[in-house]
Amino acid sequence: MSGKASLPVDEKMATVKIKIDKDAHITVKKERCQDCPTRPCLVICTAENYQWDEKKGELVFNYEGCLECGACRIICPRDAIEWSYPKGGYGVKYRFG
Amino acid sequence: MDKVTCIVVGAGPAGSACAYALARKGIETVLLERGRVPGEKNVSSFVLYTSELKRLIPEFRKDLPFERTVVRTDQVQLEPNDAKALTSYNYQWVDDPLAFTAYRRKFDAWFARKAVDEGVQLISGMKVNNLIKDGDQVVGVRVGDEELYADVVVGADGFHSVVGEKSGLITTWKPERCFLAVKEVLDLPSDVINERFQVADGIGCEQGIYCYHMNDLDVFSATLYTNVDSVSLAVFARLDELQKKNIQLHEQLEFFKQHPYVDNLIKGAKLREYQAHLLPDGGRVKPENLYADGVLLCGEAGGITATVTGMGIPTCLLSGMMAAETIGDAVKQKDFSKRSLKNYLKYLDSTALLAMVHKSRKESDYYASAARLEGPREMEAAADIYNQYWETDVMYISKHSFSLLVELYLRIGQYHLPGLLRWPLTALVKLSRLPAKLVEKIKKRLRKRYYEWKGQPAGR
Repeated sequence: MSGKASLPVDEKMATVKIKIDKDAHITVKKERCQDCPTRPCLVICTAENYQWDEKKGELVFNYEGCLECGACRIICPRDAIEWSYPKGGYGVKYRFG
Repeated sequence: MDKVTCIVVGAGPAGSACAYALARKGIETVLLERGRVPGEKNVSSFVLYTSELKRLIPEFRKDLPFERTVVRTDQVQLEPNDAKALTSYNYQWVDDPLAFTAYRRKFDAWFARKAVDEGVQLISGMKVNNLIKDGDQVVGVRVGDEELYADVVVGADGFHSVVGEKSGLITTWKPERCFLAVKEVLDLPSDVINERFQVADGIGCEQGIYCYHMNDLDVFSATLYTNVDSVSLAVFARLDELQKKNIQLHEQLEFFKQHPYVDNLIKGAKLREYQAHLLPDGGRVKPENLYADGVLLCGEAGGITATVTGMGIPTCLLSGMMAAETIGDAVKQKDFSKRSLKNYLKYLDSTALLAMVHKSRKESDYYASAARLEGPREMEAAADIYNQYWETDVMYISKHSFSLLVELYLRIGQYHLPGLLRWPLTALVKLSRLPAKLVEKIKKRLRKRYYEWKGQPAGR
């Protein structure tokens, strides 16, 4: 049960087709993340789109790789993540859902 | 200014079922879908049971785009170092299939096309941004800069329902009532699938897998089913558990795939597609919040889905059908107010759908409490949940009729009574439930003793 290399999330994401919109469908009120004790978005996001930038000391995110589950929006304890489905016709395109 | 009788938002199983049934009644309907084609946004995590679909479209089997006919069903219980499985083959389903495996990209598109054939106007690639209101009455939707008016709007737009939120029917989300799911579709040649799952060509296998004490998560569930030349594998966990334990679900999936039981089945398979979805636990929205002036919610938007029992698509579909019935009545009476749309609850009650949803929610609570005694019990429980579906067509009301009646009364019935009657009756009913609660409490205490005696942690 051990010793096998598991697939990193980037390689998983390479299998997903996404039509990227130039307007972001996620906005984050970053000042609210500063004193957030748990930052669950870093763990919950199934595509690891949220990262904590130690140098800048702020949350960085990448809306292009969103799988549209919206878990980040439910879990955010500070109500900082504004998330909606992308514009019609844009976003993830599952072929084998 | 364009105006139709009904706008259905979202062309998934609930929306397409609703639109199809409305068109059948001769009601002018527009079906809006945010994907470029229906189905490309959707992820299903289990096989497709078709009792409800058959009720709506009796001849559906003629051109249903499916992968395999499900004949083999497994319930599996995994712990880090062992696996128990209960396999059953239902050979009567070879000739008279009940369940199919299917890709949603094809199934949802097929279903929406059926609705279009009945006269529904389908508009794809359009996301509803807001509702148009006249006072409290919803009179239409806003899509980009355009406005579209209707007598009634049906919200079948999934978990993050725009219709539900903008109409004020959905206000809060609780992480403990949400399941996060990630899924992988894995390439595997057809003959390898046949050999590993011991099935013939065109025959499929579904597995419901409950995992205990693996990688810090006390309990999580998984499903695995076969397509023609691929295997779909999904894991689910409650959002609050993941947060509490600081576990990434896709890591958990990798861990799960390395279990010898799973590894044997999917060895050598290459990843075809990775997917994620969020599911509401049963009964996310209170029944009295499923309707408002000019709005109805169905499917995942209203939380009318039985997640834990694997009956998401049929329950969503049925709620769509019931919404159509309600609107049919409203059109006859030319009344689209909240008072008229309240009939929705009656129609939902007539299918025991809300009871089913409530049941699903209870099951999920059950699985979340990891403090149980032995293995076989869990297997029994799993078997029980999943057998409940085909015990009766309308979801097993007879077997548990009394306790169901009580639950039904507490969840729905009491809201139909005037206050003077309601209070004493509700108090009485609640009192009648007390002994069961006491027994539960005593059992819990005994369990704790047992674990202390065995020197094991008692779970939560």
